[in-house]
Amino acid sequence: MNDESTPLDPRLVRRLRISGILVGLGLTVEAVTLFWAHPTAFLAFLCIGGAMVGAGILVYLASLVPA
Amino acid sequence: MPYLEETVLAVVVVAIGLIATVVLRPAVLGTRAGKVLAFLALAVMPIVATGMGLSAHMETSKRTEFCLSCHVMEPYGRSLRVDDPSALPAAHYQNRRIDRDHACFTCHTTYTMFGDVKAKMTGLKHVYVYYLGEVPKKIELYEPYKNRECLHCHDGARSFEENEMHAEIRADLDSNATSCLECHDVAHEVESETKP
Repeated sequence: MNDESTPLDPRLVRRLRISGILVGLGLTVEAVTLFWAHPTAFLAFLCIGGAMVGAGILVYLASLVPA
Repeated sequence: MPYLEETVLAVVVVAIGLIATVVLRPAVLGTRAGKVLAFLALAVMPIVATGMGLSAHMETSKRTEFCLSCHVMEPYGRSLRVDDPSALPAAHYQNRRIDRDHACFTCHTTYTMFGDVKAKMTGLKHVYVYYLGEVPKKIELYEPYKNRECLHCHDGARSFEENEMHAEIRADLDSNATSCLECHDVAHEVESETKP
């Protein structure tokens, strides 16, 4: 395995940061809703947490394309 | 799966830790190991956590606490605790014939999210009506109550099988031609349990 460090495109780093923030916040929302037994928690999990995680993953995948 | 919520929480904590590493130290992405780490943190683990979380929420929605968390269901919750031995929900709940933590789901197994696609759409409609629509004054089942909901526990039970009346109409009970509720007719008497 080649573990030599290669220089990073600043745009790639910026997209990965955006992706990381979205996924991190989404996962936090998902984790919080798990301990609340109410339909609102289910909606928040799906519509807020799931949407943020999904968007974050898409940003991450999009960042790989130009690279 | 036992401890599902705790497992999801552990996956989320590990994922956030890895994400923090990627976000705060982007230099790690310059190596192949760093790229694998980013892939795990930003794609694999979030998908796993979300899938497991969805499963956990589905399990939570079987709980009595979940069903009764909507205020329109409060009278139905009270019907589990009424002092009337002839009332089916109360007799089952108070005599521990059903798991108290899954009291609603045990007798309404095809309700909302746990039936077919139509049932799932109905579940979403309930959420819409609860938040944005107008809840009907009298809540009714969409279709007649099926004997299957009773027989999945009572079928094969000695007290059920040895009852002469049950034996006489057994075929009709199996085919839903005769409803269990025709004789056992005190279910959720919500009107009498609603406080003025």
